[in-house]
This record gives sequence, C-alpha cells and structure tokens, in this order.
Amino acid sequence: MNPYILATLLFGLGLGTTITFASSHWLFAWMGLEINTLAIIPLMAQSHHPRAVEATTKYFLAQATAAAMLLFASISNAWLSGQWDIHQMSHPLPTTLITLALALKIGLAPLHTWMPEVLQGLDLTTGLILSTWQKLAPFCLLLQVQPANATLLLVLGITSTLVGGWGGLNQTQLRKILAYSSIAHLGWMILVLQFSPSLTFLTLLVYFIMTFSLFISFKISNATNINTLATSWAKAPALTSIIPLILLSLGGLPPLTGFLPKWLILQELTKQDLAPLATVAALSALLSLFFYLRLSYAMTLTMTPNNLTATLPWRLPSLQTTLPLAIASSATICLLPLAPATAALFTW
Amino acid sequence: MTPAHFAFSSTFMLGLAGLAFHRTHLLSALLCLEGMMLSLFIALALWTLQLDSTNFASSPMILLAFSACEASAGLALLVATARTHGTDRLQSLNLLQC
Amino acid sequence: MVYMMYCLLFGLVVGLAAVASNPSPYFAALGLVLVAGMGCGVLVGHGGSFLSLILFLIYLGGMLVVFAYSAALAAEPYPEGWGSWPVLGLAVGYLVGVGVAAGMVMGGWYQESWMVCDEFGEFSMLRGDISGVAMMYSSGGGLLITGAWVLLLTLFVVLELTRGMGRGALRAV
Repeated sequence: MNPYILATLLFGLGLGTTITFASSHWLFAWMGLEINTLAIIPLMAQSHHPRAVEATTKYFLAQATAAAMLLFASISNAWLSGQWDIHQMSHPLPTTLITLALALKIGLAPLHTWMPEVLQGLDLTTGLILSTWQKLAPFCLLLQVQPANATLLLVLGITSTLVGGWGGLNQTQLRKILAYSSIAHLGWMILVLQFSPSLTFLTLLVYFIMTFSLFISFKISNATNINTLATSWAKAPALTSIIPLILLSLGGLPPLTGFLPKWLILQELTKQDLAPLATVAALSALLSLFFYLRLSYAMTLTMTPNNLTATLPWRLPSLQTTLPLAIASSATICLLPLAPATAALFTW
Repeated sequence: MTPAHFAFSSTFMLGLAGLAFHRTHLLSALLCLEGMMLSLFIALALWTLQLDSTNFASSPMILLAFSACEASAGLALLVATARTHGTDRLQSLNLLQC
Repeated sequence: MVYMMYCLLFGLVVGLAAVASNPSPYFAALGLVLVAGMGCGVLVGHGGSFLSLILFLIYLGGMLVVFAYSAALAAEPYPEGWGSWPVLGLAVGYLVGVGVAAGMVMGGWYQESWMVCDEFGEFSMLRGDISGVAMMYSSGGGLLITGAWVLLLTLFVVLELTRGMGRGALRAV
C-alpha cells in the first residue's frame, strides 16, 4: 500500500475515534463511528486474499447495520423527546436500541458471531487494531448512555462471558481464540458497567495492555495456530517463557495483572447483592482458563522434535522491534502490586 | 406517535428485517442498507422541517454524504468479492467458518 | 393534501416492503427508486423543496445508476420479481405485519404533524431549508470540511479495494 494512502487511512482511524470522543451530539458520534469503519476497510483487505476480502465484507455489513441502528435510535429519540444530547437520553426505547447497536458494534454475545470470523481473516496487526482501537469509540458511547434496563446489560454481560468461554474451547486457530477471549473480556466489562463505570474503564485498559502484548508476541513468533506455537521455542526462547505468563494473565490468575479487574468486578457485584451472578461469571472464567492453559501447555511444556537447521534461528538477531512488547508484557505480568494506585486513578 | 414517525420507523424496520433475514445476494443486502439510510434521511429531514429549525437543515445533507460513502464502500466490496469469490452470493462467503 | 400525504407515506412503506422481500437486485433497485420518489413527495409536502431536490438528484441521478450497473454484475439467469410466490408471500407478510403494528398504535396518533416549514412562506424570499443548508458554508464550516474529507477518504477506500493487476476492476484483460 502506498504510504500516503496508509497515512490517510490511519489519520482517518484516529479522527473517527476522536470525533466520537469529543461529541455530545448523536449525529457527530455517528459520523465518528462511520469514519472509523470506512478507514479500516482497506487496511483489512490490503492483502486482497479471498479470506481477507470475505472478512472485510462481513465486518462492513455488521458495522454498517450497527451504525444505522444507532442513528435510527437517536433520530427516534429526537422525535420523541426533541433531544440530541448523548447524556440526556430519557426515553427507554431508544436507549435500549442504542445499547443493542453498540453491542453489535463491539461484538457482545448474542450479536457476536461476526467477531471470530472477521478476526480469523485478518493479519495480526490489523487484528490488533480491530480488537483494541476500534472498540474505544463504541465503549465511550456505552459509558455515557445511562442504561434504561438494568437486566439487559447483565444478560449481555453474562452471555458474553459464557459464550466467550465455550466458543474458544474447540478452536485450534489462535485468532479465533483471541476473538473469543475478547468477547469474554467485553462481557466482564459490561457486567459492571452500570455499577461502576470507572471499573469498566480500568478493565478495558488492562485488557488492551494484555491483548496488545499477546498479539505482538504472536506476531514475532509468526504463529497463527497451535501447531506453530509448539515450534516457537526454537525461534525465541525468552518469548516462549513469557507468553504463558501473558496467557495466564489474560485468564486472570492471582499474581498477574489480569487478576486485578476480575477481582474488583467480583467484589463490586457482590456488593450489589448479585452473588449468584458473580459466581456464574467466576465459573465462566474457568472455561476461558482452559484454553489459555492449553495454549501454554502446547507452547512451553511440550518440546517438539526439531531437526538441526530448524533449531538454529534463535542465534540470529531478531529484526523486529521488541521494545513495545517488552513494555507491554512487563505491564501485563506485574501490574498487580500497583492495584491501589490504579484503582485510585480511575475513581472519579 | 405521528403518522410520519410511524412510517419511517416501519420502513427502517422493514429494511432491517430484509437485511437480517434474506441474504441471497450481497447486492440485495446493500440495497436494504441503502433503504434504511433513505428512511433515516427522510426522518431527519422531516424532523428538521416540522420543528422549523433552520440550523438543522444541513444535517440531512451530511447524512446523505455519509450514506453515499457507505454505499460506495459497499459496492467496492461487492466488486472485490466478485473478483475473489467469483459470485456475489452470500452463501459463498464460507471460508472462515470452522 | 392530507390524503395525498397519507398516500405518499403508504407508498413509502409499500416500496420498502418490496425491497425487503428479497426479489432479484434489479427489481429491488426499482423498488428503491419508488421509495426515493415517494420520499421526495413527502418532503415537498412538508415544505422542504430544496431537500427534496437534493434527494431526487443524488439518489436518482447518482446512486441508483451505480446500483443498476452493479446489478448487471450480479446478474442471474432467472430473476425473481414480485410475481413469484416466495417474494410475493414475503411482501404480503411484511405488509400485514406493518398493518398490525399500525393498528396497535393507531389510537395514539395525533394530527398536528401536517404543518409546513415556513408558515409565512408567501412573504419570504427563501425557504427555511435553503437558508439552513446555506448555513453550512458559514457557521457549519467544520462540518463541511469533515464531509469533504470523508468523501476523499472514500475515494481512497474504493480505489484501494478494487486495485490490482490481476484482480482489480481496472485490469488489462
């Protein structure tokens, strides 16, 4: 791709999210989301491979439908109450529609089916953009809309965590597993959205850090399914010992960073007298933990028999920049002692 | 609920139902999407006109420009899909399921 | 006038039901033409003649030509119109659904909606929507620039998606 066009498209990605962040008016929020969708389409299809084109088409259809539903709900709100402000949604019907449209946009559970297929068709860099940066603008809108119906968000959240756990069990493709892990984490964020939005934001940030380091390390070891993970010790031995820690952090095991949001969310849910829901959510994390553990097992605890030439590459210097990975993975692994500071940072 | 409100709501919902349930051709899906955007344009324009609000009269134009962008991106994807898959039937978009 | 507007709104719903009932793309594009024409009528009835003109020119002049061209790309040997049973059944089913919904909300309809944009239109030089759209060039400049920039972005998107030696639209056969 021509660098000028690439610069234009990346500027479009940034501009769309910024417009959505800065807007208090639904029309502008919708414009920002549309710019975002339009700008990422050529990046997704840049290899012109049939799978990439198919993933782009599916992504486009889902996102365009969600954006149209969002605009329809806000126009209905204007007809019913004469109000365009994001903060002042009063009528329950448009608010519910907007919640559903945003759930379709970020891929929450009953509306999630596009997400694994789209992520499977992309390369890892675009997949990283799709599962981090593209979630920011819809999440900013979700945080601002007061939910009309408390049950809706809880149902969306708990279904997402369960589907994210169950869907990933049977997969051998890393990108599909990453998509299901994204669905499960989004479910955790949605569960606590109406009780403590700052906690949702904290979870989103921690998820971004974790998934960033995982995508980058998979990109460095050039792995797209479990088989290739098993031979990655020959390429980068240090990475092979770090990736299981990142995976377990995504799974939410105690000494690692991923435990922090799950801990706080469970505490908040118990405080709101939702102990059964918290139990189900905690149990659904076990489902996700199973496939994270399986990835760690295939990567570190098994040693595939390689021939002599295939074991050589770790002696060669790596050509990829590893500084972002170093920062992100150390944040992924050992941010938990900073929990009081981070929690204080996000309370507003 | 005024008759105009009912009319554009039902047209939007019809377009959404067509997009969600009938997926033979990609072009049909794009046409349904376009019908949804058209009903949104009419809704926004009628809201502006009924409230006699001059300031809002440019928002339907912006909506039309953005929906034209969306439609052209969709048609470009139609061309790309026809090149890679040989047809625009949505059933043939099955490479990524497993 | 009121009956006229009712007829136009009814035509709007019928046209979209015709599009949504899964006919072949040619006929669906035809249905969209019908919907756009009815929408122009509705806007004129509400006093938005300039917006109606924009809709007419953009839709029938620009977009539907492109859609008709793409329908040729998606051609099929035995096109299904509204004469075939599955399509007709779906269209009738959708219309019945809309009728049921209309019957449910019918009691709550209120009739204050047929007022036009400028009540003293005979005394003013410009309609409200013309001056409103013209405000896009003064106080709505940022909006105009954003819209123009998005159109440029879309140009790049389209070119990038359909580009290529062996696979693009602009290829040497």
